[in-house]
Amino acid sequence: MSRYEKLLHMLMDYDATIMFTAIGDTSGNILWNTIRDDSKVQIPLPEIKKTLVRESKDWISRCKIEDSDDLGRALYHIASFEKIKQVTIPLDAFHLLMVYVDNTPLKKTKTKSYGRYVEMGKIMSIVDFVNTFEE
Amino acid sequence: MEKYEQLLNMLMDFNESVRFAAVSDAGGQLLWNSQRNGVSNIVPMEKTKTTMSRSRSEWDDYASSAEHIGNGMYSITSYAKIKRITIPLPDGKMLFISVNNKPMKNAKNTSYGHLVQMGEILSIVEFVESQNF
Repeated sequence: MSRYEKLLHMLMDYDATIMFTAIGDTSGNILWNTIRDDSKVQIPLPEIKKTLVRESKDWISRCKIEDSDDLGRALYHIASFEKIKQVTIPLDAFHLLMVYVDNTPLKKTKTKSYGRYVEMGKIMSIVDFVNTFEE
Repeated sequence: MEKYEQLLNMLMDFNESVRFAAVSDAGGQLLWNSQRNGVSNIVPMEKTKTTMSRSRSEWDDYASSAEHIGNGMYSITSYAKIKRITIPLPDGKMLFISVNNKPMKNAKNTSYGHLVQMGEILSIVEFVESQNF
């Protein structure tokens, strides 16, 4: 098993709200993916593939910005929608991690909910940990 | 004062880590902006305008997936030094916020930046949208 496959399994084990994970190349092709079977939100695979292609292009633009401007390392991108949060993280020069997290509000929320909190620090620390593995 | 100018002022008052806030039109063109006194630009304004235009078109792309994932609420792009937040507004407008993301000096573990209180920011946006200016 490659270290990136291990990464996907570790993310699935880490949090039950993670519905889908994938690693794509710079063209947006899916190299590895995992899907949680009992997820409430179902997104068709063609839609996921289309999104990964788009996000790959967007990350190429963001990394150019990182290089040209003094913003520091590009860490992650979160796009929050009513049903899901879409997280993308550049792993290295050739691989992009995409994670879909369930974002449907909890039923017992007293005030208006804008979705669930995603612990990016934990996710980033798992990514950094796996990146220390040798192939 | 136009309501979106009021929104920018409220965001600046809300949190000192907000460095810059702006609203663009549906084409990604800058309409209003506010910059914190004493904070210098990391990125030249022309490049920020380009980023805003690109972010606006990202939201147009996301709209095509709304049937499966719901309507867009916000996006955060995190760099080591800043976080960039975008929020789609009515009539195709977009709010853009740049927030300081430099790690706290006393962080014990590896820091991945500051937590952004998106619930608070979204509630400010909704409050301003609900007002008649």
